Amino acid sequence: MNEFEPKVVAFCCQYCAYSAADLAGSMRLQYSPNVRIVKLMCTGKVDVIHLLKAFEGGADAVFVAG
Amino acid sequence: MIVADRKPFDDIKAMLEGFERVLIVGCGECVSVCMVGGEKEVEILASQLRMAAGKEGKKIELGETTLERQCDREYLELLKDKIENYDVVVSMACGAGVQFLAEMYDHKIVLPATNTRFIGVTEGEGVWTERCRACSDCVLAETGGICPVTICAKGLLNGPCGGTNDGKCEVSKEKDCAWTLIYNRLNKLGRLDSIREIFPAKKYNVQTRPGRRIHEAFKEKE
Repeated sequence: MNEFEPKVVAFCCQYCAYSAADLAGSMRLQYSPNVRIVKLMCTGKVDVIHLLKAFEGGADAVFVAG
Repeated sequence: MIVADRKPFDDIKAMLEGFERVLIVGCGECVSVCMVGGEKEVEILASQLRMAAGKEGKKIELGETTLERQCDREYLELLKDKIENYDVVVSMACGAGVQFLAEMYDHKIVLPATNTRFIGVTEGEGVWTERCRACSDCVLAETGGICPVTICAKGLLNGPCGGTNDGKCEVSKEKDCAWTLIYNRLNKLGRLDSIREIFPAKKYNVQTRPGRRIHEAFKEKE
C-alpha cells in the first residue's frame, strides 16, 4: 500500500514567507515537494473562501504564512 | 438593520438531504452587513456543501446568486429563469426575505439558512446589539433615546424596578439596567422631569400581527 502523501497548500506573503521559501531555493535547501506555494501580495488578503477552495481542490492541509 | 445568525451547517445539510440541485440565494442588505447571508457567505456555504457531498460520495449541483435584497419583488423577479433549474432554494436572507421568496415562487421548496435575531446596530467589529422591538408605539422621546422595551430585561415602561444593582440588571451582571442608563442620559440632557412621567399601559393593540403599513400617497389605490 502506498504511504499517504498529504497535499499541502501554503499561502505565503511575498515580503516574508515567500522570500524565505525563495531564499531556501537559492541556498539549495530542500523542503517537501508536497507543499504547493501560492504567493500573495499580502496574507491580509487571505479569506476563508480561499482556504475552503484549497480544501475543495483536494488539499489535505492549508497554511498561511505572513 | 436586521441581525441574523447562520444556522449550524449540520442543520442546513440535514434540510437538504435528498436534494441534488440546490440554489443558494444571498441577500445584499442587512444579512450581508452582519456577515451571515451576503455574497461571500453564499460562496462559503456552497463550498461547505460541495465538500460534504464529495466526502459522502453524493452528487450535488449548486447554484449561487446574491440579490440586491430579498424583501422587494423587483429583485426577486431576477430569479425567475434560474430558479426553474433547481429542486430547492436555500435563502440566506432574514425571515422576511425567505418568506417573500417562498411566496413569489410558491411552486418551489424554499428553506432558510439563517435564524433571524433582532433589529439592531453594529456596536463594534463583528458585534451587533438589539435596539428596537418594533413595538409600533415609540417612547424614545421620553426616555432619552434609550428604549426600555428593548434594553430592560422586563421591558418596563416605568422603571427602574427593585432588581437594579449598581447600574446592572438582576437578570445578569453583564446586562446594563436600562432605567439607570435612561436616568443618566436624561440627567445629562437636563431632562430628568421626563422620568417622573408615568407611562400608561402599553398600546398592544397597535402591535397586531402581521404588521402592515400603507403610505398615505398609496392609500387610495388600496
